[in-house]
Amino acid sequence: MTIARSKIGLMATLAFGLACLLAHGQNYGGERRVLKSDAVQFMFPEQVTVVAGKASVVALHFRIAQGLHINSHTPKDEFLIPTTFSIPEGAGVRIESATYPAGTELVLPMDPKNKISVYTGEFTILARIVASKGNNLVEAKLRYQACDNSACMPPKTIAVAIDVIGQ
Amino acid sequence: MKWQRSIPLKRNTLVLTAVLFILAVFAWAGWANWEYRQQAAERLLASAAKGELVADPAGGMAQYASPLKGKPAPAFALEDLSGKKVTLASYKGKAVLINFWATWCGPCKLETPWLVELRNKYAGQGFEILGVSTEGEDLKKDDKAGRDKDRAAIGKFVEQMKVPYPMLLDGDSISQAYGGLDAMPTSFFVDRKGTVVAAQMGLTSESDIESNIKKALGE
Repeated sequence: MTIARSKIGLMATLAFGLACLLAHGQNYGGERRVLKSDAVQFMFPEQVTVVAGKASVVALHFRIAQGLHINSHTPKDEFLIPTTFSIPEGAGVRIESATYPAGTELVLPMDPKNKISVYTGEFTILARIVASKGNNLVEAKLRYQACDNSACMPPKTIAVAIDVIGQ
Repeated sequence: MKWQRSIPLKRNTLVLTAVLFILAVFAWAGWANWEYRQQAAERLLASAAKGELVADPAGGMAQYASPLKGKPAPAFALEDLSGKKVTLASYKGKAVLINFWATWCGPCKLETPWLVELRNKYAGQGFEILGVSTEGEDLKKDDKAGRDKDRAAIGKFVEQMKVPYPMLLDGDSISQAYGGLDAMPTSFFVDRKGTVVAAQMGLTSESDIESNIKKALGE
């Protein structure tokens, strides 16, 4: 009886180890796919289930590369490019509204007199969406413009792929 | 009996040790993987956004190592704000600072007053600046409304800053010839013979820009 229990324990351990190994490999592969020179990466969710035909709020999480900042949705200068989230028409999902986080005020060492409104680190956009019934593979867009303390990269639009299941 | 009881005890200890060992290995692997990905992301981002910075042999500030340094500056003909074609070739015999900038670039605007001041200081010695507006992938060739809006924004900025040098449009059309221009501001200092003698990426300092202007003037 004791020997049988030990065998079960050993098998459970091996199964757990194997599961960890697989999970580790999948995570590694996933990260490698998104590893690009983009200043912003879409983190999650990859899939959401919502009530078809009814407005639902989905929280979209993004991460900005270390040492960089992007303009908030409401930058203080008219020339600066705001961060915006959109869903192209005909995707089976339409966006009713998007709620953006308030920007953090940043003072650049080279320009101590001015404050700019930016996002750094991780930020979340709350998108109010209405999905059709069924499986809707949406390629939403996030447009942003990133800088560090002394230089700026050109504005960029990245794809935000989400599988929206309308039930 | 004692011997029989000690076997399961030993096995339990072995199983527990194995579980702890496997957990420790995976915790370590997870941490190592995270660390590796962080470093790889930073390396990739740094190479994409910053170009290569190398130490100045004279002990000064690190310089942007453009592959164009020591080579002839790529020729171009771009429209200015009035619609007139301006060529780099027409400035032969002068030292030229080609300054790639953008309306959305905060650091570019910070260095503009320095550029205005330095241009006025060295113009008499045969020095000119060519500002080249580079808006990035979002502004398409056929987007007339977008281009008009961009032109108006540049015009407004030129007026506000009292920019005395030519401001050229559509820098994106020559950005590949100048190394891709991953970040703004990027400046190339061209001597009187048309050779790139120095390059800078990002906001540095007025004195750093001035020393490169002197280099281009052959001082």
